[in-house]
Amino acid sequence: MATKLNHRDCRNFAPVDVVKGICHRSKEFVQADGEQCEKFNLMPKCKHCHNFKADAKTPELGTCEASAHEPKFYAYPDMVSVTCESYKA
Amino acid sequence: MPKKLKEVLADAGISMDYESGGKSPAALTDREIMPNCHPRVQKLKDVFMQTLSSANSEFPYWYTREFVMHDGEIPVIRRAMALKSAFSHATPVIFPGELLTMHKAAFFRGSFPMPWLSEGYYMAKEDDLYKAALKSGSASADEHSKFGTGGGNVTKDFGKVVSIAGKFGMRQEEVPILLKLAKAWVGKSVDDLGHKYEQMVPGYDIKEALMRNVICMFDSGYTLPQGREVINYYYPLEYGIDGIIKIATEKKAEVAGRADGDGMVGTNRLYNYEAVILMMEGLKAWISNYAKEAARLADQEENSVQKKEYADMAERLQWLSHGKPRNFRDAFQMIETIHLGVLNEDAISGMSPGRIAQVLYPYFEQDIASGALSEDEAIELLELDRVVKTSIDCFASAGVVGGVLSGNTFNTVSAGGLNKDGGHACNRLEYLLMEAGMRNPMPQPTIALLYDEKLPEDYLLLAMECIKTGVGYPAFMNNQIAMTFMKEHYGPEGMNAEEARAWAIGGCLESSACCWKPLHLNGKEYFIPGGAGQPTSVGVHFLSMPKILETVLWNGVDQRTNERVFPAHDRKLDSFDVIWDQFKIYWKTSVDVLALTNNLQHDIWRKNNMAVLNSLLKPDCLDTGHLINELGYRYNATFNVESAGTANCINSLSAIKKLVFEDKMVTLDVLKAAMKDNFGFKTAKEVNSFSLADQEKREDGPGKYDKLHFACLQAPKYGNDDIAADQILLDWENWFTRDCYTYESLYGYPMYACQISVSSHGALGSVTIAGADGRLAGTTFADSSMSAYPGTDRNGVYALLTSAAIWDHSLSQNSQLNVKIHPSAILGAEGSRKLLDLIRGYMRKGGFHIQFNVVDSKILKNAQEQPENYRDLMVRVAGFTQYWVEIGKPVQDELIARTEYEGI
Repeated sequence: MATKLNHRDCRNFAPVDVVKGICHRSKEFVQADGEQCEKFNLMPKCKHCHNFKADAKTPELGTCEASAHEPKFYAYPDMVSVTCESYKA
Repeated sequence: MPKKLKEVLADAGISMDYESGGKSPAALTDREIMPNCHPRVQKLKDVFMQTLSSANSEFPYWYTREFVMHDGEIPVIRRAMALKSAFSHATPVIFPGELLTMHKAAFFRGSFPMPWLSEGYYMAKEDDLYKAALKSGSASADEHSKFGTGGGNVTKDFGKVVSIAGKFGMRQEEVPILLKLAKAWVGKSVDDLGHKYEQMVPGYDIKEALMRNVICMFDSGYTLPQGREVINYYYPLEYGIDGIIKIATEKKAEVAGRADGDGMVGTNRLYNYEAVILMMEGLKAWISNYAKEAARLADQEENSVQKKEYADMAERLQWLSHGKPRNFRDAFQMIETIHLGVLNEDAISGMSPGRIAQVLYPYFEQDIASGALSEDEAIELLELDRVVKTSIDCFASAGVVGGVLSGNTFNTVSAGGLNKDGGHACNRLEYLLMEAGMRNPMPQPTIALLYDEKLPEDYLLLAMECIKTGVGYPAFMNNQIAMTFMKEHYGPEGMNAEEARAWAIGGCLESSACCWKPLHLNGKEYFIPGGAGQPTSVGVHFLSMPKILETVLWNGVDQRTNERVFPAHDRKLDSFDVIWDQFKIYWKTSVDVLALTNNLQHDIWRKNNMAVLNSLLKPDCLDTGHLINELGYRYNATFNVESAGTANCINSLSAIKKLVFEDKMVTLDVLKAAMKDNFGFKTAKEVNSFSLADQEKREDGPGKYDKLHFACLQAPKYGNDDIAADQILLDWENWFTRDCYTYESLYGYPMYACQISVSSHGALGSVTIAGADGRLAGTTFADSSMSAYPGTDRNGVYALLTSAAIWDHSLSQNSQLNVKIHPSAILGAEGSRKLLDLIRGYMRKGGFHIQFNVVDSKILKNAQEQPENYRDLMVRVAGFTQYWVEIGKPVQDELIARTEYEGI
């Protein structure tokens, strides 16, 4: 799923709350939905993972093809995956 | 313009100025002492001040995903597996400048829903699940609960943010998964299963009516199943994560397949120890993920100071992911981690750290002696702890978080008290704890000072200086009264005098059972206190006394909704004794059905959702192999009955007794008609003020009730050392505290009285019609249990204290008395001494608790008009301090209206 990437998709973004965070590079507040800068470092999220299969009807949902469940367990594209052992870039 | 009540009364020659002991200065008076915190702390505090309460779905996602994998597994194992997965997958987030790190969720002020407890209120209001919750009464309190509209509360949707439960912001992107997760728990949550079985309790229709009419505020089983207790950090400090895993592994081998004389749950010990291991593995992974994140940040950091701090943090966290703390900084991070871990295990409000300055003292003493730590560094960490604790949110329904908690989570620390041998327990670190509380005034942790005559005078005077900063802490709790309660109530479970000395406050002011454990550090043994009792947030919670009285007067029918709550009593209310007797009958009917239904909710909780982490921390679970659900805690008689609206009910009974039966100036029918007609006034909602003084006469309002209303307002009131009213309080307390012992919790122990209001006096007042005490419809009740109704304590503060101390406070888990004092009344050293004398006087009379708002009411009025200028203004609400802007208007109005003492 092609999506526009912004600060909240960056590993330098420490999320203060749902609308803003602190950039680890600049140490300044940045808006979560602000556009990425030249120091952008992609945050692993389900939407970037090969194991994620988007739901055709509901774009905010999908399935994790790496799950051991049958049928496969649901997932959502915006979830951070830095701790997921099945994350495949 | 319609006249306000205070103008009507002024016309009649009755002043309603709400000042006592003098007149406040005309100019605004600020608090006396305004110290500063460390620059690092200020920066993080500045971040907090701009932070919105935020929630995400990460933890519930991984929990649910793992849980559904293990259908058919033994419940405690299944739950531990789910928890392990959720902790292991929590995204680590570290902010620049932090020395103490780790967060509940991946935000500065983050939290998350737990649909396995209850899923109904996450749904849109048009959703069938929400409608079902409303019908059963479980969402009714939400409708009458108000959040403050400022600060970090997200009360409305905006941009890409959705407001959930009236407080938490969630990204739009996450809402579909939250709904999907919530629906996965339909019919399986504690709320749903509890509801299924509680309907089998005879008289369940009364329970539903009590909840729907907001006569009782909330069910504890699925809202806040744990809390108002004292955590115990001993095992992680003494053994570390690997040490606990080793103990559980060895114990597993000892108990596998063995009943050891217990044919009911003896063999469960194997599963429980296995659950402990799984839980600790999850915690280990959580800490380790933070260590990796700190190392990653250290690698990329260009600032050398910050780089070293990240590197030190990474080393410390990596060590703590398996080993026991080596020094003060390790120990502080460890207790912070464990604290947040427990709060992530369940929806918990009031998980108190206990006497942390005594718990951390061994490390402090040795690090100071070796030069590894300075006192200034210790204060900085204690200041940082205030940022961490104030950032803790609890995700629950609007009625619970807004209506009851005012957004606070009550991570109260205790100080003072006695040590194991009976000497005072005040050490050097306790002084620094107080100092940090002054330098970094934030709502949490609030400080509970366990007052004993043995405490050093200079420490008590330092506490006075802290109170004078206006932070609302420390509150004073009577050590000897609490110890008497401990020995009496927990005696049957083995509590003795030595163990009673370990008690501390759980939640805002719930006396909680604790114990001593031997901590070993570099060859030296220290006995540290820690929690050993079950939650006290459980039982019958916030039962409204004025509403029960209302139903007595109207033969069992609620007068706001006209719904029948109780079976008609059909008694002729021709004497005060008949009214009093019927009040007790309806009270007992309420408590009985609420206790039984709550028992079933908690029974579902203990079968499917039991505490694993909190349990393994509490003596004697790790020793016996039984968790909370199998009475593994040393003290289990913790379920209580919580009253609300005490002063208003006592004052109403006093007025009825005087005006109807003694003076015969009015018949009960006429008085009831006047109450029903709100004495000719508009409702509080129409006026948009919940303070009595601001209420307005209706344009067409009859004047026929004016004289009666004046008489009601002038009838004997609690808080004036007037036996006419105080005797009713004494009778009530003697009956109520003993009546609680006639109800049994699911754990087979008697219940006891708990007498605090938190913020329920706002929501409960809003659904209650006018009272015989002259209080008008919808206005907020008096706070807590021993506070006077605003403006009615006219004989000075010592008269109020005498009224409050008329009964034996050791019969109850607590009592609560809030006093508002103008800063000018306690200026300078002389003012500090006068304040201490006042407190000491109350403690010597046998009062349990007293605390102070030192504030000029004019500031509060300005803050209500211009909240944007008062983001950091803090006030003492009930047993806790909160930011003014995060408190709902009903309670704000009550705080402004409280009697302001201009002299003591």
